[in-house]
Amino acid sequence: MGDARDQVLAIVADILAVSPEMLTGQSSPKSVESWDSIRHLNLVLALEERFSIQFSPEEMEQMQTIGQITSLVESKLTGTASS
Amino acid sequence: MGISIRPHSAEYAGAVLRFNQRLNAGGAEDWMQAEPQPEARWLPKKEGESLYNETFLAVENDEVRGSYVLKHQNFSFGGNQIHSIGYYHHPVSEGTIDKTYAPVGALMIRDAIRRQPMLYALGMDGPGKPLPQMLKLLGWKIWLVPFYFLVLRPFRFLRQMEIIRENARNRLLADLAAFSGFGYLGINAAHALRRMRRAAATYSVKCVPVFENWTNDVWHSGKIQYSMVAVRDSSVLKKLYPASEQHFTRLQVFRNDRVVGWAVIAQRGPKPRFGNLRVGSVVDCFAAPEDASLIAHAAADALKERGFDMLVTNQSNTAWGKAFKHCGFFEGPSNFLFAASPQLSRLLDPFDRTKVQTHFTRGDGDGLPRSF
Repeated sequence: MGDARDQVLAIVADILAVSPEMLTGQSSPKSVESWDSIRHLNLVLALEERFSIQFSPEEMEQMQTIGQITSLVESKLTGTASS
Repeated sequence: MGISIRPHSAEYAGAVLRFNQRLNAGGAEDWMQAEPQPEARWLPKKEGESLYNETFLAVENDEVRGSYVLKHQNFSFGGNQIHSIGYYHHPVSEGTIDKTYAPVGALMIRDAIRRQPMLYALGMDGPGKPLPQMLKLLGWKIWLVPFYFLVLRPFRFLRQMEIIRENARNRLLADLAAFSGFGYLGINAAHALRRMRRAAATYSVKCVPVFENWTNDVWHSGKIQYSMVAVRDSSVLKKLYPASEQHFTRLQVFRNDRVVGWAVIAQRGPKPRFGNLRVGSVVDCFAAPEDASLIAHAAADALKERGFDMLVTNQSNTAWGKAFKHCGFFEGPSNFLFAASPQLSRLLDPFDRTKVQTHFTRGDGDGLPRSF
């Protein structure tokens, strides 16, 4: 699962155009300057494509920090997502 | 706590008020306000109606962080299929003033697509804005609906039109053209040349207070020639252009004694790009494409009589575009986008061919009845 976490971080860093070292589980649109509405949608779509998953609107509601995004991806990959 | 999308209801009235106040205080554009009450002011939802607006809110705890409106309306596809299509409009997100809520925009679009997969968006103020960029990412087909204009008072146009006076050089050139008289001569000559290429249309016209049953015949005889067109029969037109909205002028157009179509004309609401110009608009119109020229002439002539500085219209259909050009209109830079969701696009496949056979006008936009 650590591998998925690293991949999520790499995708986030790539789309937000920041170094992965600058990101933490608490990083959010508020704390990352380049994280705007368009990049957020780009991020959702990139994660869906990379992991062959689909986020429902209810799941997207939980994607507000990198920690939340990582947990959601991991839970979907293990089939434990709640929605 | 996450953000969830819910239908607007009375319990959120206070939260919507606070949301709108935060948007105002944060410097959001004037139009960025959520519908204050659950019942839409324009086309509220009623039992058994197929044409209505409903508002959805992005709610976090007790606060509203976003809002969008879905307009439901029946559309004809090629005259033989009718589908209820959703129009995604007035999306407002707290993300525009507080980056914490940047994800709200994407969340609302995804929610709207799930509620109504056959969805379109219109206007959006040009392709560079966040909404069309997001729709493009989601695989929507996007197209600029052509914009047509006719200058009636060249001096005022050259002195007032913001879009041609964007820098000092252009302002100087526009002023030179205005004060020398060359602008007057040039613009009038160009419009006259365009009109001369086509014989004058012969029509008669009547202003009507309401669109009665005769519009049903126009609708049924014309709809088959459009790849996609909102149903425009009498019952729909009475809702879109009710007699109570007196700033609209409704024209019934005849060739000899036969009704061939109609148009709705009005003064355009103030827009920074038009400066202080008095702008007349062909808001909506309908006829079979072969009669478009007659309707365009009737609408343009009626607007000319009202003393406007300039006339404008948006027309997605090639025949209607040509019809307005024959009246002297020129095509100008458009910021009026049409975007179709992937599921709607499939009904329009091949999109590049069918898009110019659709019939979208300002009347299909979100600004009715006041700010089209």
